[in-house]
Amino acid sequence: MTALVALDSVSKRFGRNTVLQDVSLEVAPGSIHAVVGENGAGKSTLMNILSGLHQPDGGRLLIDGEVAHLKGPLDAIDRGISSVHQELSLFPNRTIAENIMVRREPSHYGFVQRGELEARAREALARIGSALDPAQPLSHLGIGEQQVVEIARALERRARLLILDEPTAALTDHDAVRLLEVLRDLRAKGAAVLYVSHRLAEVLSIADRISVLRDGRLVATLEAARATEDDLVRLMVGREIDPLAERVPKAPGPDLLVASNLGRPPAFSDVSFSLRRGEVLGFAGLIGAGRTEVARAIFGADALATGSMTLDGAPFRPRSPREAIALGVSYLTEDRRALGLFLGLSLRDNVVAASQAAVASRLGFLQPQRLKEAAMAFLRRLDVRPLDASVEVAHLSGGNQQKVLLGRWLMAAPRVFIADEPTRGVDVGAKARIHAEIQDLARSGVSVLLVSSDLREVLALSHRVAVFRAGRLVRILEAAEANEETVMRYAAL
Amino acid sequence: MSKLRALPAQQIALLVCIAALGGFMAVTYPGFATVENAEVIAMGFVFEGFMALGMTLVIVTGGIDLSVAGVMPFSAILTALLLRAGAPAPVAIVAALTVAALIGLLNAAAASGLRVHPFIVTLATMLSLKGLNLVLTGGGPITGIPPDVAWIGQGRLLGMPFPLVLFATMALTFAVLLRRHRFWQQTYLIGGNPRAARTSGVRVSFVLAVVYITSALCAGIAGVVAAATLGSASAGFGQNAELRVITAVVIGGASLQGGSGSIGGTLLGLSFLALLYNAFSMTGVSTYWQDVATGGLVLASALATELVTRRRARG
Repeated sequence: MTALVALDSVSKRFGRNTVLQDVSLEVAPGSIHAVVGENGAGKSTLMNILSGLHQPDGGRLLIDGEVAHLKGPLDAIDRGISSVHQELSLFPNRTIAENIMVRREPSHYGFVQRGELEARAREALARIGSALDPAQPLSHLGIGEQQVVEIARALERRARLLILDEPTAALTDHDAVRLLEVLRDLRAKGAAVLYVSHRLAEVLSIADRISVLRDGRLVATLEAARATEDDLVRLMVGREIDPLAERVPKAPGPDLLVASNLGRPPAFSDVSFSLRRGEVLGFAGLIGAGRTEVARAIFGADALATGSMTLDGAPFRPRSPREAIALGVSYLTEDRRALGLFLGLSLRDNVVAASQAAVASRLGFLQPQRLKEAAMAFLRRLDVRPLDASVEVAHLSGGNQQKVLLGRWLMAAPRVFIADEPTRGVDVGAKARIHAEIQDLARSGVSVLLVSSDLREVLALSHRVAVFRAGRLVRILEAAEANEETVMRYAAL
Repeated sequence: MSKLRALPAQQIALLVCIAALGGFMAVTYPGFATVENAEVIAMGFVFEGFMALGMTLVIVTGGIDLSVAGVMPFSAILTALLLRAGAPAPVAIVAALTVAALIGLLNAAAASGLRVHPFIVTLATMLSLKGLNLVLTGGGPITGIPPDVAWIGQGRLLGMPFPLVLFATMALTFAVLLRRHRFWQQTYLIGGNPRAARTSGVRVSFVLAVVYITSALCAGIAGVVAAATLGSASAGFGQNAELRVITAVVIGGASLQGGSGSIGGTLLGLSFLALLYNAFSMTGVSTYWQDVATGGLVLASALATELVTRRRARG
């Protein structure tokens, strides 16, 4: 069978930087082809070439066996190649129907026919088994549902090849499972899917074939049925690393943070737990279960309606993050770009942002050299690349940005460290680094609250796992009884 | 009731304010609730009205157009000068509007072509034009508008002053186009997510050019009508008009971040401000205090909206 889309020895350079070299791969109709690799391996460039954003410098792109020159994203869409972007390309201010039918609105003399618009959007949604109301504003949807809208839009544009970049990065396990079902269904109907993801277990379960990129070159294309997670990791990094390090030694000390009956209906209520010194307490649950809301309330970023907390025996009720930080609570946000980093500022300024008081002179003046030295210590410790405190953080890869943000909160010298989705959308290397850092913190006596939708991460790092469902803490599982099955049973049932 | 609930919170709050203010004035001042006064109120704000139509489009795209306060007197002066020089009325008006459109094109070219923020671009245009207006007029009024042109401002059609008929027609056209027409709907895409708009096939620069030209044309029309209504043109026309216009659009529910806003909302915003200014002059509040009160009310409306939105979000 002719490949739907094929790359033949494709190369791409940016300036003197070669980001893709002699990459060849074929995507067959009715198949799911995964591409894996560390950040910077060339996955994004590969996708951008397929979706018409970049033109290759060398080699050929073939569609249905014929050489094709894509003039831009619209040209790619016309030829049946649609991308679902990691940073969603949707319009939050429009309805679901308007998003699905954007620039293809049925119209008479330019006047949009609203009835037909919604009917066609409903049809596109129904084809992937979604019953969303097309007249709803997009802003009412969660990220998982927004992705469904993007896929419906691609299908409405008669996509034959769907390109997905980290589609499950922001989804809960539950939503991710649903998305994978949709993709399997599309494959059965003859569509091809190019699937880029850091989640190796997921890639192995869904893909037919897996291509591994490293430093811009294609290292191997494997049959998924015969590959293992270890194979992939080895090929990706070119060396052996333990994807999930061992559990922290079990010697948590006395209670440090005790929370009783925390609540702010309807987001969460009746949340009680104690966090011991040197303990990692996992917060597991589906997205929307209230975990982030609880974490933000502990940090003083949002108000509490009910309940009380003590920190080291003393009453603790921060009215602002400023108060929480002063008492030794750090919070690594789940949304580093919107809520964490100052994208236009340097690594130095990003790292010292929460500790300015500590590094300032007695009169409040900040000395550039001292700031730089203080920041460099953490950048070095976390192996941030490039290791240059004057670079703007916006130029770094996702994994390195996350390390910079982690550095900020380490510098604040916390007693309680709240990590909210600490490894979302970062590559394998950065993930291992962040995991190691969390374990080191715990070993040194810091208490960690680990909020994560990556269940394997929660299980590997936590001493105990608190399971949330619909705004309530339903169960705290000891390490011995916590596994994927028990956690999901409490989280989803 | 369901219709009412579909309205954005801000517009409901605005309707309540209009009803409260109107009700209070009607009860306290017998001369208020009359057809004559309604006409006075409308004519007192119709020039801002023309400009607000174009401004709504600009703000929906996430932009801003301060230059309207320069374009409006400029096109009034240009029309008057051409008429005085003996040009036939249609020639003078078309020429003034063409120049206005070119200014709009210039704004768009600098804003989307050279990527200078529209605030800076249109601030520069406004300042230059204000200076130019003083140069052209020497500070005094230019008189001698012939009766056929004066009819545009002073004549009546269907029992209403012609400027109001023209404004109503334009407002209706803009409302339908913005709500229903594919081309104009693209303004919401640009304001909502500019990058996604580009990758969805929206010709962003072209649409922005049309939008800024439209805004300048609206200001141009306001200028021509103003000259016709007052029988003269002066550099003092439209003093601080840009602020009143932006205020009307924003309290009408448009967000300065772009992506939201409607002609209906803008009409409500205009009505409220027009009513407010009329109430001031009827009650004899000192003009100095008017701006203080307006500022306070704008702040109050913003706070009220925020409160309502928060309560709704909580469900």
